[in-house]
Amino acid sequence: MLKTFVLAFAATVSFGVLFQGPRRILWQGGIIGACGWVLLVLLKENFYVHSFTANFAASLFIALCSETAARIFKQPATVFNVMAVIPIVPGLGIYSGMQCILEENSALGSRLLLGAAMDSCAIALGIMMISGVFFTVRKVKETNEKIETRR
Amino acid sequence: MAKKNDADRMTDKTDGTAVQGTEMDKNMAMDIAMDMGKLLLKSGAETSRVEETMLRFCRGCGYSDLNVVCMPTVIILGDESTEGKNRVFRVHRRFIDLGVIMAVNSLSYNFRRLKPDYNSMKLLLNGMAEKKPLYGRFSVCAAAGLGSAFFSTLLGGSMPDFAAAFLTCFAAMWLLKLMTASHLGNFWQNWLAGFVIGIIASVCCALNKGCTTQNVIVGALMPFLPGLSFTNGVRDYIAGDLLSGGSRIAEAVLMALSLAIGLIFALKLWRYAAIC
Repeated sequence: MLKTFVLAFAATVSFGVLFQGPRRILWQGGIIGACGWVLLVLLKENFYVHSFTANFAASLFIALCSETAARIFKQPATVFNVMAVIPIVPGLGIYSGMQCILEENSALGSRLLLGAAMDSCAIALGIMMISGVFFTVRKVKETNEKIETRR
Repeated sequence: MAKKNDADRMTDKTDGTAVQGTEMDKNMAMDIAMDMGKLLLKSGAETSRVEETMLRFCRGCGYSDLNVVCMPTVIILGDESTEGKNRVFRVHRRFIDLGVIMAVNSLSYNFRRLKPDYNSMKLLLNGMAEKKPLYGRFSVCAAAGLGSAFFSTLLGGSMPDFAAAFLTCFAAMWLLKLMTASHLGNFWQNWLAGFVIGIIASVCCALNKGCTTQNVIVGALMPFLPGLSFTNGVRDYIAGDLLSGGSRIAEAVLMALSLAIGLIFALKLWRYAAIC
């Protein structure tokens, strides 16, 4: 498990460099991404959770951590989100589905592709829910501040 | 021209919406806001962030009659008043640069507290626009290669897989960076990247029996998947920007599709070559 964590951390940090992230945010993003990946693998392989639910939980976790880190380190949340979400994008599902369709095994191929699409929907849903909550909280805060300054 | 600006300032002052502390007239405020928006949109921020940053700046200067519309390809900054002028900026190419997003974000945050004047803001923004990216072409390609290599190991790859994924992704990313100077569209660039990945991965696996094609290709594909467009699209949907969200997600799907088509092309070609 430690090996997985370290590998996922290294992969996430590399993607951070690819997106031109400055050094001071790389390690936070790396840790968030690695935790998300470990959570995904743990849920899928040790607890036999359905792939959709596992992806949803992992992306909820990642989005929550990114929003928290954004508040701690005073940076926009996207910066952490973008890096950390990359490892859990279902590249394997897309590729193997495509490969199966290429080998004229379209039944299995379309099932795999559908699974990959479901997983990406789960990831999107997770990010959507958390950032929606934080968005609302911020708006409410701003409105309250405005009302107070008017008084 | 100067008269009009003075008139603007006068009316704003009499409106009671005028600012204390800043010496920016409407033209200057629009200029700075536009520069901030350009930088953000060019470096891959979501459109709701661009709009919010620009609007917040305009409101901070005291001009509540300025409005912004931002889409993934265009920014329109308009003045609602009868004498108002509009500014339009068309974005043709977008890159991903988290550093610039962070810098503009902190600038906008500092503006609210420190209220710097026009010249220092303009100087800072020009510096940001002309600054070279943090990491050069070689280190970006190497980072992409390393990322994909680690990822292929994560999926259960061996040492030869690590090397092959690194090589494949490095070559494909290098090609993609070379292609950005040319005027090929996004579709063809991604198609070529997918094609190169397919060919190099197949060659590596033919040369070394320790490689598995699946691990190498999935690892090498990872940096090219449009994760950022997808995430941004979702965030735009949340902020109520249905138009931008839809076009971002369409962009992500199109990019993934072109990558897949290139890859399939290469694999098919390789198979026919092997049969012949």
